[in-house]
Amino acid sequence: MIEQVKKHVKSLISTGKIAGFLGLRNDEGVVTPFLFQQPEDVDAALSLGDLDVPGAARYPMAKLAMRLLQNSQDDSIYGVLVRGCDERALNELKRWNQLGTTDRLIKVGVACPEELAKDHQCRKPFPDEFVAGEKVSPQPNDVVTEILAKDLDSRLAYWLGEFNRCIKCYGCRDICPVCFCNVCTLGDDTLVRTGDLPPENPMFHLTRAVHMAGRCIDCNLCTEACPADIPLRTLYKRVAEIIADEFGYVTGEPGEGKSPLNILGPEPGHTSAND
Amino acid sequence: MKKLLEFSGIDPERLVLKWVSSAEGPRFAKVVTEFVEKIRQVGPSPLRPKKFSGEELTEKAS
Repeated sequence: MIEQVKKHVKSLISTGKIAGFLGLRNDEGVVTPFLFQQPEDVDAALSLGDLDVPGAARYPMAKLAMRLLQNSQDDSIYGVLVRGCDERALNELKRWNQLGTTDRLIKVGVACPEELAKDHQCRKPFPDEFVAGEKVSPQPNDVVTEILAKDLDSRLAYWLGEFNRCIKCYGCRDICPVCFCNVCTLGDDTLVRTGDLPPENPMFHLTRAVHMAGRCIDCNLCTEACPADIPLRTLYKRVAEIIADEFGYVTGEPGEGKSPLNILGPEPGHTSAND
Repeated sequence: MKKLLEFSGIDPERLVLKWVSSAEGPRFAKVVTEFVEKIRQVGPSPLRPKKFSGEELTEKAS
């Protein structure tokens, strides 16, 4: 699988189609994101993040690609390694106007093996186009239904217990491919009291959940990153369901339509947001 | 927002969102009064920090 990806990436680099390829590099067993610019480096160290199990090392490739574009001095085109989740994140970032007006990313897709798809109960374990891997079917995830089956008091007890373990490392926010704000509500003392451990419960996590509305593309990176094993993804999954029910908006789909929470209504005395 | 509260186990009745213009003083008073009445019926929030009472300590000790 990796050989097909390497071959594809090398041809993109050597034909000058891309200025660099944002992928993963295996440096003696440590996998980190890396911008490949030489075909030799691709041969030597390109990785898909597969270690003991497939996809053991995952990174928010979409967010890194977004930063790469924002920090690049020219209009170069870059390649980026995408799984199904990364592609959804790129689609969502585009809808939130974070990838610029021109298309400067060439996606090099890989379809995830069944084991990885199952590990993350993935809703679409493959990008629309991919150069390696086999399409496996989406995996079910029933956690939301399980919680909805409980009564109010048990739900509250469940979430307070989970949130109570939070060590406020901001890992969920930092790993999140669609968290791109320059100023974060969670760091603002007037909105969420700072300096407490665990952070104001449940305000801290519910605040983040509201901000995930119309954004979260269900990649499971937050839950994976959480050192306290808080099932954050379950919470954001429910938020996504609510947005789909109320506004008919499904995150991560390709296209131009804005997320419902990214539409500004007219201010009083105006007929539109732009006049 | 209400649905998220419901999912988290907080009674959605505890939240009310209403548009009230600054020119609608009487309406504002009415909305707030009604909400206060409702909250009184629903009772104290389950998130309210429990007041310290000696009983809990003795319970734990025994």
